[in-house]
Amino acid sequence: MEWGILMIEIKDVTKKFGKKKVLNGVSFTAEKGKITCLIGINGVGKTTIMKAIMALSPIASGEILIDGKKIHKESYEKITFIPDTITMLPQMQIRDAFVFMADFYDSWNQARASELLRFFKLQETDRISDLSKGNTAKVNLILGLAMDVDYVLMDEPFSGIDIFSREQIADVFTSHLIEDRGVIITTHEINDIEHLIDKVVLLDNGVVLKEFDTEEIREKEGKSVVDVMREVYEA
Amino acid sequence: MKQYLKLVNFEFNRFFKLYLVLIGITILTQIIGVITTARMHVNRANEWINEEHMTKGDIQLAPISFYDFSQSAWFMGPIALGAATLLIYVFFIWYRDWLGKNTFSYRLFMLPIARIQVYLAKAATILLYVLGLIALQLLLMPVENKILKWIVPSEFRTDLSINEITRIPNVALLIPNTLGEFVLYYAAGVGVVSIVFTAILFERSYRVKGIMYGILFCAASQLVFFAPLLVNTFVLKNYFYPTELFFMELATGLVVAACSIWTANFLIKNKVRV
Repeated sequence: MEWGILMIEIKDVTKKFGKKKVLNGVSFTAEKGKITCLIGINGVGKTTIMKAIMALSPIASGEILIDGKKIHKESYEKITFIPDTITMLPQMQIRDAFVFMADFYDSWNQARASELLRFFKLQETDRISDLSKGNTAKVNLILGLAMDVDYVLMDEPFSGIDIFSREQIADVFTSHLIEDRGVIITTHEINDIEHLIDKVVLLDNGVVLKEFDTEEIREKEGKSVVDVMREVYEA
Repeated sequence: MKQYLKLVNFEFNRFFKLYLVLIGITILTQIIGVITTARMHVNRANEWINEEHMTKGDIQLAPISFYDFSQSAWFMGPIALGAATLLIYVFFIWYRDWLGKNTFSYRLFMLPIARIQVYLAKAATILLYVLGLIALQLLLMPVENKILKWIVPSEFRTDLSINEITRIPNVALLIPNTLGEFVLYYAAGVGVVSIVFTAILFERSYRVKGIMYGILFCAASQLVFFAPLLVNTFVLKNYFYPTELFFMELATGLVVAACSIWTANFLIKNKVRV
């Protein structure tokens, strides 16, 4: 790694589930300060890549580096993952979840958690198991975004969520909560965030079909993300 | 260390309500049991006195002691229930983080601590629960002994001291009489839990194949653990003294536990799937 380059590097990563190769030499980078979007239909390996970055699923070969280093226990203070499912115990109240986070993470920012709670109009005394799907997703988002970390990974944050919640979550991307962080996001709902993303990685059958800078392709070729997707997937 | 203790506290609290129920059942069943057992004995004596018109001295009724109560389902039932519940919880303490809607395993494995601490915290939780139930039993037995004395007149009972009570075979199994037995029983218990935990991690890492790896790991661990006994019995025809065997078992136990924790560390760090 060159000194000072801050990014997540995925290098020639392969992974099998039984005989099926779900990742077949995947390589791309996600820089700090940019929003990188992984796009592909279900089952192409988007979530698997996220889990592999967080060492939640082992890879068969290849290398994943965060700021030039393999993930280790301290890395979890500078990178966080917001999966599409709640990562706290359902019987907990939101405030219990906050206490848990404050107990274990030095990077937990309670003031920001409270700010997000107000923004999403949730109550600290709400029990997680009683929340709607949209509100559960919001709590999950708070648990990730209220950490002072350099990188945030989000897996399908808009999946199965009503239009108003989607708008609220999309608003987060334009706020100071995301600024200066490196974000990797997977989504089907590209329309919600097309104008916000800096970089796109198109995946299919466990390989990267195309990796491009959205601004660059807009300026040089006059194409939107959807245009490029159509070109690549319909080719 | 602070983080580890927080994790143990967290794991301990997750099962605490059910544990309190278990404690409640044990207290209620054993207290009701000792009262019932004692009253039945007294009633039998009264029947002899009232119906057969016998005096206390004439009655040929075998005196009751704590030994009789300790052999009853009233005493053993809650202990068995506690043991069975904790045995099931050895598995559930892991699977509850994966199964159903609960995906707490994500959070556990994204904590900024060495992942082996999760394993050790769960093991410590089981040990604390076991020791807690044993401590409860130690508190309950003198109370139950007292109740027996209150209800049954001295002519119809034999008094046992606490020391004698702890020598009753099934009680001695729970509350070892010597340091050697304590080390043997509880180290073996901790060893078994660590082996089962590692087998569970094999399954959580390799899923269906992992079940086979887990079973093989358990079998290999048992073989190594019992190797001194097996060699002594079948090859050397009882060559070693019991003390020598005890220390050999202690050594193989430590080897097995160390291997188990080392394997678990490798799996939880590199192979486990969420």
